[in-house]
Amino acid sequence: MVKFISKNLYQRAITLFFVSIVSFLVIYLAPGKPTQVDPLNPKFTPELVERMRKEFNLDKPIYIQYLLFYNDLFSGKLKSWKDNQSVMKKIRDRFLNSLPLFILGTLITWTISFPIGIYSAIKRGSFVDKTVSLLSYFFISIPGFFFAYILIVFVVKVFEVPVIGMNTFGLEETSLLTIFMDRVWHLVIPSFLGATGGIAILSRYVRSQMLEVLDNEYIRTAWAKGLSPDEVYYRHALRNALLPFITMFGMIIPGLIGGSVIIESIFSWPGLGRLAYEAIMARDYPVVLTLNFISACLVLLGTFLSDILYLFADPRIRL
Amino acid sequence: MLVKRLLILVPLILVVFLAQSYLWVPSYEEQTKGNPARLTRYITGSIGDAAILNPILSSDSASAEIENLVFEGLLDRDKDLNLRPRVAESWEIEEKAYVLTNPNSSRKPEDVLSVLKEARKERFPSFGSVKEVRLLPPESVNCPPVYTKEGKRPSNCVIHYPHRIMISLSKVEPELTKEIEELLGEDFFKDFDLDGIVSVESEVRGEFLQRMKDEFLSLIEENPVITFHLRKDVYFHDGHALTAEDVKFTYEAIMDPKNLSPRAADFEPVKDVEVVDEHTVRITYKRLYSPAIGTWGIGILPKHLLDKKALEEEARRKGKESISIRESDFNRSPVGSGPFVFVEWKADQYIKLKRFERYWEGAPNYHEYVFRVIPDPLTQEMEFYSGTIDSYSVLPHQVERLRNDPNFQNFSGRSFGYTYVGFNLQREPFNDIRVRKALAMAIDVEKIIKYVVYGQGERITGPFPIQTPYYNHDVNPVPYDPKRAVELLMEAGYERQPDGFFKKGDKRLAFTLITNSGNDIRKAILAIVQDYWRAIGVDVRTDLVEWSVFVQEKVGKRDFDALILGWMMGVEPDLYQIWHSSQTGPFQLNFVGFKNPLADELILKIRKEYDEEKRIEYCHRLHEVIAQEQPYIFLYCPRWTALLDSRIVIMERSEDGKIQYRNITPSKTGNYMYDFNKWIKLREKSLLLDRG
Repeated sequence: MVKFISKNLYQRAITLFFVSIVSFLVIYLAPGKPTQVDPLNPKFTPELVERMRKEFNLDKPIYIQYLLFYNDLFSGKLKSWKDNQSVMKKIRDRFLNSLPLFILGTLITWTISFPIGIYSAIKRGSFVDKTVSLLSYFFISIPGFFFAYILIVFVVKVFEVPVIGMNTFGLEETSLLTIFMDRVWHLVIPSFLGATGGIAILSRYVRSQMLEVLDNEYIRTAWAKGLSPDEVYYRHALRNALLPFITMFGMIIPGLIGGSVIIESIFSWPGLGRLAYEAIMARDYPVVLTLNFISACLVLLGTFLSDILYLFADPRIRL
Repeated sequence: MLVKRLLILVPLILVVFLAQSYLWVPSYEEQTKGNPARLTRYITGSIGDAAILNPILSSDSASAEIENLVFEGLLDRDKDLNLRPRVAESWEIEEKAYVLTNPNSSRKPEDVLSVLKEARKERFPSFGSVKEVRLLPPESVNCPPVYTKEGKRPSNCVIHYPHRIMISLSKVEPELTKEIEELLGEDFFKDFDLDGIVSVESEVRGEFLQRMKDEFLSLIEENPVITFHLRKDVYFHDGHALTAEDVKFTYEAIMDPKNLSPRAADFEPVKDVEVVDEHTVRITYKRLYSPAIGTWGIGILPKHLLDKKALEEEARRKGKESISIRESDFNRSPVGSGPFVFVEWKADQYIKLKRFERYWEGAPNYHEYVFRVIPDPLTQEMEFYSGTIDSYSVLPHQVERLRNDPNFQNFSGRSFGYTYVGFNLQREPFNDIRVRKALAMAIDVEKIIKYVVYGQGERITGPFPIQTPYYNHDVNPVPYDPKRAVELLMEAGYERQPDGFFKKGDKRLAFTLITNSGNDIRKAILAIVQDYWRAIGVDVRTDLVEWSVFVQEKVGKRDFDALILGWMMGVEPDLYQIWHSSQTGPFQLNFVGFKNPLADELILKIRKEYDEEKRIEYCHRLHEVIAQEQPYIFLYCPRWTALLDSRIVIMERSEDGKIQYRNITPSKTGNYMYDFNKWIKLREKSLLLDRG
C-alpha cells in the first residue's frame, strides 16, 4: 500500500516537472509581449520598452527566466506584470469567489443527475425517459452564452430582480440574513447554467451504467429471490453502478481552478476564469503560468485521489 | 428505502432553498425609484477594470477615467481645447538664453555683450522681447544629477564655463539662435573646444559622458522657463495642502527609472524643477519644446505619502527590505486633490469614490461616483434599462434604438483618433506616388463610413484630430474615381492583362493587406478595400493577424505591404514619432517609412514654436504636405456615442444663491462629461427641461 502510494507520487512529481517545462516553453514561444511593453503606444519610447524588458527579466536566456520564475513562485515573491500585485494573493481572492459557484454547481449537478438517470433507467423506453433524453441532447448542444442570455433576459423581464454580480449592488444597510440570501440568489442562475451541461451528461451516464448493471445475472437472481423492486434497484443495482463515478469525482477537482470564462464574464463574476482570460490577453505571464501550474497540480491530485478511492471502494483491487 | 427517499428529498430541498432566495432580493424598482440615495450616486459601467491607480504609472483608459476624478493636474483643457488653470492659478512662459564667448576669439566678452545689447529690433525681431542682457563671469558648475537604475545620483562632472552672456526674454523666441549666429558672424565659434570645458572628476562611462554633452552643452543654449503660480486653497484628500514640493516630487517620481513611468518621455526635456516658494514652481527646459506645457495636466502626487520616508515606513510595515512607488499600496488606494475621494476598490467588481467636500471649486453635486465592472455588453445594457447604471460603453446601433425615446438623452462627438490604410513606402509598388494615389482613388470612403460605422464617422484628409485648429480644412479629400485610378496606374507603367490584372514587366501588381484580428470594423474595411482594389485590377490578398504578433512581427519588423490601423492622438500637434524621418527604424512608429525633408523641417518647427498662430500655420502646411504624399489613405475619424437618463441635468448655483438647472450640452469638441461636477439626477423629468 505505502509502496503503491509512494511510487504513484514519485511518478506524478516527474510528470509535474515536465509539465512545468512544457507550459513555460509554450507561453514563452507564443508570439507577443506583455501589453505593458507596448511599442505601438507613442508614450513608450524604445528606451523605456528596453528597461521594462529588463525589469521583467525578458532579456535573459530562457533557462534563467525559467529558474527565476519558479524560484519566485515557490518563495511567494511572484508579482503580476499588470499591476504589481502579488500573484498568489490575486489567485487566492479569485479562488474564494469562484469556490461557491463551483461547490453549488457540483452539488446541483450530482444531486439532480442521479435521480433523473436512475428513473429513466428503471422506466426505460417510457415517455419520461424519451423526454429526458431529448432534453439532455438539447442542453448538451445549446451554446452556453446563448442560453445564459436567454435566461438573464427572462429573469430580468419577468421577475425584475438583478442577476449579475456576486450580490445586489448597493445592498449595504440590511440584515445579515438578507445579505446571505441575496448572495445565494446571485449564485443560483450562474451555477444552474454551469450545471445544465453537467446534468445532461451525467444523467445519461448514470442511466447507461444502471442499464448495464440491470442486465447482469445477479440482478436476475435478486428478482428471483423475490426482493421488492426498491431493494433490487437501490441496494443491488445502484451500488454496483456507482463504481465508475468514483473516478469522475476525482476528476472534478481540477474544475476548481477552471471556472468558466463565459459564465463569469456574462455574470460579471470576479472569478478565476476571468482572471486567467484577462491575464492571457494582457500576456501577464506570471499569472498565466502560476494558474497553469496549479491546475496541473490539481489534475495530478485528482487522479491520485481517484486511484486511492478505488482502492477502498472496489474490493476486487487490493494490493 | 432510505436511499430512494434521499435521492428524491435532497434535490428537492436544494431546489426549494435556492428558489426561496428570490424572495429576499430587492427588485430593481426598490433599488432605483424607491431609493432616494440613488439620485445622488452616479454609477457607470465599464467593460474592463482599472489596472493601477497612479497617474504616473498607468497607461490604460479605465485607470485614467478614475485618475481624472481623484487626481488633478496643474492645468487641463477647456471646452475649446485651450489650456485652463486648475491647481495652477496662472503661469508665465519666458526664456533664458546663454551664449558662450569664445576665449580664442579676438573679440572680448564685453564686445560681444555690446553687440548683443545693441541688436536692432527691426532686423532681428527676436530681440524685441529682450528684458535683460548680462555678462556672466566664468564659472564652474556641477553637471545636473543623473538618473540611474539605483535612482538619482550626482553625475561627478563639472562644466567650466568661460564668460557667458545671459539673455532674458519675456517670451520664447524660436528664431533667437539663428539671429545670434547671424549677429556674431560665422567665425565667432571657430576653434572653440566645446568638449574641453567639461572635466570629469571620477570615472564616468564614455556613453554617459556623451549623453551629458549632448544634453547640456551647446554654444547657444535656449531654455524656456515656465513659472506656475499654484492656488493656495488646494488640499489633498487627507487634509495636507498641495504645495510646490508636491509638483517637484511628481516630476522626480516620473523620471526615476525604478518607477518605469510610461510618461517619462513627456518630461525628458525638463532641465530643472525649482521650488521658488510654497506656491510657485519654476520649470526650466533644456530646449525649445512647445508641447511641454500640456504635459502638466498630469495628476499631482502627494509627496508626504510616497517619498523615501513614507516608502521605508511602508516597507517596514510589510516586513520587506524596500519597496518602490510601483509596489506601494498607494496605487490601490490613491490620495489626490481632485473632486472625488477614493473609497474602495474591489478588483473586477467596482471602484467607489465619494465627493471631496473641500474641493477648491466646490464639491461636486453627486455624492458618490461608482465605477462598476460589467464585462459583457448585453448585461450592461440590461442594467442600464433597469436603472442600476447611469452610463455604459454604448455602441452606435444601441443608441440608434433609443434615439427618440424621451426617457434618454444621447450624445455623440468626434474622437481624437482616426483609421487609415498605411503603405510600406520602402517596398514596391508603394514607392511610386502614382500607385498610392490610384489606390486611394479606388476606394469610396463615404460608403465605408455609411455602412461600416453606421454613419458614426467623419471623412478626414490628414494627420491631425479634426476638431483641433491644427487640422487643415482646406485640403480636399481624394475623390472616388476608379477611372482616373486606372489611368494613373497606366501612367506608372502598368499594363492591363487579359485576365483583368495589372502587370509591369513580368510582375503582377499584387500585395497583401493586413490588419489585426479582434476588431470587427477593421475586418470589414479590410474586405471592402480588397474588393475595391480588385475591381480596378489589383491582385490583393488579405490577412488577419493576432494583435501582439501584428505589432511585434509585422509592424515592428516592417514586414508588411499595406495595413489598416488607427491612431489615438492627443491635443498637442507633435507628430515627431509618427512622421519624422528619424523614426523609421525597427519598432519605431514611422513604420510606413515616410521621409520628406519639408515635413521634417515643419515637424521640428512645430515642436519649437510657442506662438499658437504660427503653430497652426505650420500644422496646416504639414497637413498639406502629408496629404499630398499619400503615405496613408486617411479614412475617417470615428465618433463616440453616449447615452444618459434624461433626468440627469446640470445644476448650478447662480450668484444670488438660486439653484438653476440646465440641460447637458456637449462642448464644441464633443466632450459631454466636461461639466460632470455639476451634474445631478432629478427625481422626475421637469417640464422646463423639455427637449422638444
